[in-house]
Amino acid sequence: MAIFGLGKLGTAVRSVSPVRGATPPSTIAPATAILFFVGLSALLVIIGTTTWLSKRSESYFTEIARIRDFRSAILELRAAVQAAETSQRGYLLTENEIYLSPFGLEKNKANRNLGLLVKYVPAASQQDLSLSRLRAVVQQKFAEMEETIKLKRAHRDADVALLLKTNRGKRLTDESNIYFGGLAAYADQLLFRVSEEQGQNFLLLQVVSFVGGIIIIFVTAAAAMFSSRYTRMISRSRDEVNRLNSSLELRVRERTAHLAQLNEEVRRFAYIVTHDLRAPLVNIMGFTREIEESVADIRPVLGSAPQTQDDLEKAAVSLNRDIPEAISFIQSSTQKMDALINAILKLSREGQRKLNVVPIDLLSGSQKAIAALQHRLNESGGQVRFDLKVKTIVTDRISFEQIIGNLLDNAIKYRSKDRVLDIRIASRPVGYERMAIEITDNGRGIAAEDRERVFELFRRSGTLDQAGEGIGLAHVRALVRNLGGEITLASQFGLGTTFTIEMPVTHRQAEVFSQ
Amino acid sequence: MNRNTAPVAIVMIEDDEGHSRLIEKNIRRAGVNNEIMAFSTGGAAMDFLFSGGKDGAAHANRQLLVLLDLNLPDTSGITILERIKSDPHLKRTPVIILTTTDDQEEIKRCYDLGANAYVTKPLNYEGFAKAIQQLGLFISIVKVPEN
Repeated sequence: MAIFGLGKLGTAVRSVSPVRGATPPSTIAPATAILFFVGLSALLVIIGTTTWLSKRSESYFTEIARIRDFRSAILELRAAVQAAETSQRGYLLTENEIYLSPFGLEKNKANRNLGLLVKYVPAASQQDLSLSRLRAVVQQKFAEMEETIKLKRAHRDADVALLLKTNRGKRLTDESNIYFGGLAAYADQLLFRVSEEQGQNFLLLQVVSFVGGIIIIFVTAAAAMFSSRYTRMISRSRDEVNRLNSSLELRVRERTAHLAQLNEEVRRFAYIVTHDLRAPLVNIMGFTREIEESVADIRPVLGSAPQTQDDLEKAAVSLNRDIPEAISFIQSSTQKMDALINAILKLSREGQRKLNVVPIDLLSGSQKAIAALQHRLNESGGQVRFDLKVKTIVTDRISFEQIIGNLLDNAIKYRSKDRVLDIRIASRPVGYERMAIEITDNGRGIAAEDRERVFELFRRSGTLDQAGEGIGLAHVRALVRNLGGEITLASQFGLGTTFTIEMPVTHRQAEVFSQ
Repeated sequence: MNRNTAPVAIVMIEDDEGHSRLIEKNIRRAGVNNEIMAFSTGGAAMDFLFSGGKDGAAHANRQLLVLLDLNLPDTSGITILERIKSDPHLKRTPVIILTTTDDQEEIKRCYDLGANAYVTKPLNYEGFAKAIQQLGLFISIVKVPEN
């Protein structure tokens, strides 16, 4: 039965503990950011270093090419000197000019390569390698060879022989050979150093790539780990939410079943109380009537019986005043008690009635309730206005009409004597699949301290100048709750009252009653 | 029911003795003079009807009418109704259920079990007195089979 409170259900649902997640995702985000930063830095370092190292490698190649040119210049110079000497010897022996034809060419070649050597060898090393001395030696050698050729042309063979016997040419050749050796060694040394540096460069490149690769692998692995941990965390949280959801449903079902049981008990209790309380009342009323009738039977007899004057007076008082008075109090009290028990019975039956849920047009449904009160409305000259934002509601028709009817009845009953009654019925949607119906009047209002009390059984508010047992609003509240709604009121004393009924737009048969 | 010979005895099974007296008074007011035997417990009534746990043979040659309340402290009125209607000697005895319950299921069940009438006691005295007096008038014209 609805009057005795489905209200607890709300609190029962709300008391469920909040979702307990694993580690909150807030620690994941910074970790991911750090990983991203580390990975990106590693990649940038690798790219930078590789670029730098390949640039260096390129410069080594240029260096090696230069050293090769340098080496070939040495060899060419040596070859030029030797070729020039061969040409000179041939001419000296045969006196045939044909041998001298390459001489000038080789001399030019020697000079050109001498120039190249100076260019290739850095100024600092020129001293060590006696480059200027080599130049001098080569020039002296050519000068000596040209001298002998000149003497031979002049047919001064004896001077030629004399000159050759000094062995100066041989010495110059030997000396130049020493310098050539030194230069070749220098070139080899350069070459060795450069290729060694290139080797180191290559090694460094390998190391950087390797270390960078490892960092990237590590970062990727860490990211994968974090992401999998995060995924696990999410799935764990989801499982937790699911588990809580299902346990919540279970708890709601348990509570609902429990409430249904309680409701049934209370309903039975109310039914038994009303029936069993009324049985003795029938006796009180019945036997009071019997006494009444007995007194009526006695009265004429006693009137004629011979008695003392005093006795007669006392008996007359009892018979005519005291007994009827007592009987009348007993009767009125038992009638009142009967009415109260009846009211409880009515409320208890309301909860048991099977609801007939149908779509109801708010306007025509309300007008039907108004029609029943029309003559009283006319008497007071009042009017009812509508402002319906929700037009249709699917609920129990009888309950709906009783709710509206009772509230309108109250509005008419407790109107203000100072002004024309004005009632406004409004509806509006509220939240998810719920709506509010507001019934506003400009009546006498309800004092603040009575605003909750008026919904209680047998309680009334204000001047008790109207007939009534204090059942109406208790009944309305029971009806509204039975439809899954709640009724509240707002009032300004002396100005009017607004009753707000919040209920589902479409009534769903509550499990409480079906289980 | 013949008022002069008054062979029909009324068996009234009612736990509330006040009700019992009021029922009797109001039936009498309707002019019913038949013997009324009042039982305030189901047990006592059963003892009488079935002669202490046997059957209704003792009343085989008697005309009875039973006024039965369903809410009894010891046995349910339904049980008594069932026993009467399944007893070979008592099954034609008219049984009038006189109770406060107006539960539809209960009413159906009583008729299914062979109750002859179901009357709810109005729970206000005016209605109660009126209903019982009307019941008295009704009883006075009911024919009870002679065995």
